[in-house]
Amino acid sequence: MEQPVLQAKDLYFSYDGKVNALDGVSLDIHAGERIAVLGPNGAGKSTFFLCLNGVLTPARGEIVLDGRPVDKKGRKRLCERAGIVFQNADDQIIASTVAAEVSFGPMNLRLPKDEVARRVDHALDYMDLQAFRARPPHELSGGEKKRVTIADILAMESEVILFDEPAASLDPAGEERLEGVLGRLSAGGRTLVISTHDMDFAFRWATRAVVFAGGKIIADGAPETVFRDAETLRRAHLKPPMLLGVFELLRARGLAPADAACPASVEGLAALLDGAEPPACGR
Amino acid sequence: MRHAHHTHGVRSIDHLAYTSGMGGWNPAFKTALALGTLVICLAADRPAVSAAVILALAALQKAKGGLALHDYLGLLRVPLAFLLLGGLAVACDLSRVPAGDWSLSLHWFYVCAGADSVRFAAALVLKSLGAVSALYLLALTTTACEFVGVLRRLHLPGLLTELMYLIYRFVFVLLDTHGRMREAAGARLGWRDFRTSCRSFGGTAAGLLLVALRKSRAYYDAMAARGYDGGLAFLEEDKPLHAPQLVWMAAFWAALILLRILTA
Ligand SMILES: Nc1ncnc2c1ncn2[C@@H]1O[C@H](COP(=O)(O)OP(=O)(O)O)[C@@H](O)[C@H]1O
Ligand SMILES: [Mg+2]
Repeated sequence: MEQPVLQAKDLYFSYDGKVNALDGVSLDIHAGERIAVLGPNGAGKSTFFLCLNGVLTPARGEIVLDGRPVDKKGRKRLCERAGIVFQNADDQIIASTVAAEVSFGPMNLRLPKDEVARRVDHALDYMDLQAFRARPPHELSGGEKKRVTIADILAMESEVILFDEPAASLDPAGEERLEGVLGRLSAGGRTLVISTHDMDFAFRWATRAVVFAGGKIIADGAPETVFRDAETLRRAHLKPPMLLGVFELLRARGLAPADAACPASVEGLAALLDGAEPPACGR
Repeated sequence: MRHAHHTHGVRSIDHLAYTSGMGGWNPAFKTALALGTLVICLAADRPAVSAAVILALAALQKAKGGLALHDYLGLLRVPLAFLLLGGLAVACDLSRVPAGDWSLSLHWFYVCAGADSVRFAAALVLKSLGAVSALYLLALTTTACEFVGVLRRLHLPGLLTELMYLIYRFVFVLLDTHGRMREAAGARLGWRDFRTSCRSFGGTAAGLLLVALRKSRAYYDAMAARGYDGGLAFLEEDKPLHAPQLVWMAAFWAALILLRILTA
């Protein structure tokens, strides 16, 4: 098996020294994966992301980047390689203009000025933000701010991007746009890890589902396998995705083939019911 | 909706810089112009010079910055109120017997003022207003990030710059959060009468501290996540310095100094 890009090995972390926010978490992240991280509030998802990127140092356990454990000196390299898009855009946005904001990461990497300018331009183009470049980011709408925070990380050219509940403050149009960006990033070879409460999104988008509860990973595998496990769903207070329920129903009524796997999208289900090959989308 | 106005007032400093016609001016030049004028205004110590500074800078904000006079005056209102109150305190004395050129009887005591002290106070208010105008030239046309860049190039200790910037950013959070808490308390009738108001204020103030602590952590985490390790730096757009601007600045300063000499 190929070398994982990023590994968490038996992480423990506590904010107050009493309760473990992370209680022995291990995860191997491979290049090109699309991982959905699920679990109730307070399960430790955000804390896990902060450890993966090196902002928090776990009390025990280690982060391994390209097979080498990350020490104090390697932290900068870690936050360059694995970027976080924070849940709350206002916490992340720091500068007075969109262009200055996007430049903050590359400037911290101490890159030459024209390289910073090139990256800022590229990130703004990618997120369709050129028209906003001189605007104060605090004045933008929620969806636009989210795009700015994604551009922030793109400018660092991180190959692993951790999204902490990116849809939390978006309207349906913003969510759709976000999903488009995620699709492009994934097609471009980035490794994406996204924490979310949206089971339907996780089911149609992810190649792998990881479930957190009480600071532990209680399930890790293909989304269909994980979401069929009633015990896991009960422990993490999750509801199975709609499509899986519909598919089960169709199969129980003999309307869908008994041996087929559940398709990831409504289009896939339509194709399956029509007896055609499901389209090669998602997984 | 007082708080809404307030929040808007502070938040809009970046907005003003974005909309200002002087936003494209070289930030180092603006800093030099503002600080130089400030020094001349304070050192000259003449009402005529102070008045000239106030008028010239207001005209500049209007003509080059495109800032409506009404908005400019609105922004000057808060410092002006402070200055007038301070001036009043300097001009007036309290005494048991009438004294000075004017006195106002307030039953138990007199508020007295002499022509000299009034003149002195007026000069002081004008001078301070001139200084505020000079600082506004910077504050209303330059983004906070650009200002950080200027301070860095002046080799101010990084820690100081960073602290200033973070405090500046924090003002937004506090005002915003306080505004939202007040609204929330208002929605639950927390400002119904004086006593409830006092309780609600106590509650929001305590809440504010907690929010501030949590926010400062979130901010720091988000900055560290992008590789921040001290030394605040942003990419700045090249804003070239134009020779005529330097000539105008020199002429303006020369005129102020001349005015000082003439009023000696
Ligand atoms: N800054 C903090 N200070 C103290 N406790 C925290 C802090 N952030 C999170 N926690 C606690 O750590 C646990 C995990 O939180 P978090 O990682 O934010 O979970 P999630 O992102 O899954 O909602 C929770 O019990 C939460 O209360
Ligand atoms: Mg979280």
